[in-house]
Amino acid sequence: MRLVVRRWKEGWRAPRYDVFEVEADPSESVLDLVERVSLKLDPTLTFEHACHHGVCGACGMVVNGVERLTCVTRVGDVARNGVILVEPLHGFKVVSDLVVDKSRMFSRYPDDTRTLERVAAQVEKLWDCVECGICYSACPVACSYPSYLGPSVLAWAFHRAVEEGRVPAPVASRSGVWSCHAAFDCSEKCPVNFQPGEKIMRLRRLLLRGAVEVV
Amino acid sequence: MRRVVVIGGGVTGAAIAYDLSLRGFRVTLLERGSAGSGTSGRTHGLLHSGCRYVADVEVARECYSENQILRRIAPYLFEKNGGLFVAITEDDLRYKEFFLEKCEEAGIPVREVSREEALRLEPNLNPQLKAAVVVPDGTFDPLKVILSFLASAKKYGADIRLYNEVRGFRVGGGEVKAVKVLDKVSLREYELEADFFVNATGAWANKVASLAGLHVPVKPSPGVMVALDGRIGNMVFNRLNKPGDGDIIVHHRGTSVIGTTSWVVSDPDEVTAPKEHVELLLRRGAEMAPIVSRMRVKAVYVSSRPLIGQAAQTGREISRSFAIIDHSSEGVSNFFSIIGGKFITARLMAEKMGDVVCEHAGVTAPSRTAELPLVPYWHFYG
Repeated sequence: MRLVVRRWKEGWRAPRYDVFEVEADPSESVLDLVERVSLKLDPTLTFEHACHHGVCGACGMVVNGVERLTCVTRVGDVARNGVILVEPLHGFKVVSDLVVDKSRMFSRYPDDTRTLERVAAQVEKLWDCVECGICYSACPVACSYPSYLGPSVLAWAFHRAVEEGRVPAPVASRSGVWSCHAAFDCSEKCPVNFQPGEKIMRLRRLLLRGAVEVV
Repeated sequence: MRRVVVIGGGVTGAAIAYDLSLRGFRVTLLERGSAGSGTSGRTHGLLHSGCRYVADVEVARECYSENQILRRIAPYLFEKNGGLFVAITEDDLRYKEFFLEKCEEAGIPVREVSREEALRLEPNLNPQLKAAVVVPDGTFDPLKVILSFLASAKKYGADIRLYNEVRGFRVGGGEVKAVKVLDKVSLREYELEADFFVNATGAWANKVASLAGLHVPVKPSPGVMVALDGRIGNMVFNRLNKPGDGDIIVHHRGTSVIGTTSWVVSDPDEVTAPKEHVELLLRRGAEMAPIVSRMRVKAVYVSSRPLIGQAAQTGREISRSFAIIDHSSEGVSNFFSIIGGKFITARLMAEKMGDVVCEHAGVTAPSRTAELPLVPYWHFYG
């Protein structure tokens, strides 16, 4: 198996692509492969990872051109002719190699963000959205318009709007729901089917009907 | 201002950086990878009620008390849906009296419910279950807890340096003078001086300490976990028996995780999941919840617990509690290692570690991490 990794470090004028020859089992995850390269072949290779089971959102990367949560992506499902190319997510500033700065997503969270949803009277649940940033990377608007609030943040705002009947002004502004081009790449690439695109459309409809207040 | 270098960006290091920053130390945290990229990130995500450890009442009490503190300082991080201990076999049933007695002794509020009630609460449990007890368990996304501790540390001035790997130490005159670091973001090597060094690298503690010629009696004890492609319940499913392989199913977000197994290795960087462990977990999981056998496996992963090494043969018999190692007996007076513990006792471990550093530094400020609300994880960015 050949793992090709886009490398970039602070101070470099251009990125480069490193090729690593590794033994791989088709059933293991792309993340396992990247981690093994960092442990055995190149300890300076940097990438983000934590839970290794698809709940924390740290390990989003572009794998053979497609955004994936690498811990739940099997090598055998994505390798093409024995090659896997991994690159950092688009739409964010690259920090080092595969690590990107997700501030543009997390800094848009209001202080009273609801992290839990109530799915039944007695049951609370963290949102399915794992906050991986894949929807930003997949979104043609987020990648070309830095002020855009972004798919996942707007999807969270939709849930708040339904629950409380109001949204903060930026959500209803040009940098909010009105910038979406309805490409639906966010929903297409979302690893947990959170459907940000559909939620943005529904929030637009609520706003047009005057069903939610802008505060 | 006294300077402390904390090594390790798992939950323990993050909590220590927070505790010491609050007490007025100038803290730099060094982590070779991303936040939580070692053991802590890969936990199954159980906010322990303590019931799993009732055989040792002290450990159980400690877990329950930390469970309550975490709910108070960061309610937004936890799915607080409780848990169930269920008896499937006659052997499980024989454990029930002992279990209830010990829960009471540990002060953990539990409630036995009927079979019908248990199945109403969690329809995917094995309908043949013979007894069920409701306990105050919860679940979490490990990374978000770690990032919240890091965000809190940052708020009080800590300098969090991810992708900064410790390569060695400069030791002299009975002290560690400086740590040698490789910054993987800029590919620059540098030295960092400090008054105190805290080694919070868990399963890697001996590897790191040996760079200063010191020894930590840690036994890296990996456990395999299997994540299912779907969520089969809300309350944590525990097997009502002594802790063993495949006796727990933890649900969070859109997944359920079956845990775990236990063995001992010498190097936590050389661990893979044995296939037979995966089969065992799926089989044992299906005993508690038959639906498991019809689910697709989404991920298999391994996490190495930093157990305290003793004469024990296998991972499970080693103490679950934590230990702070003051390396002055090895001739170094300002270097401490912390091993053992559980994810959810990290705040307490940090408090005790903070007490030790304060005592050496002559600082009297008490720990405040149990009272102050934790800063939400999104503040770590930007």
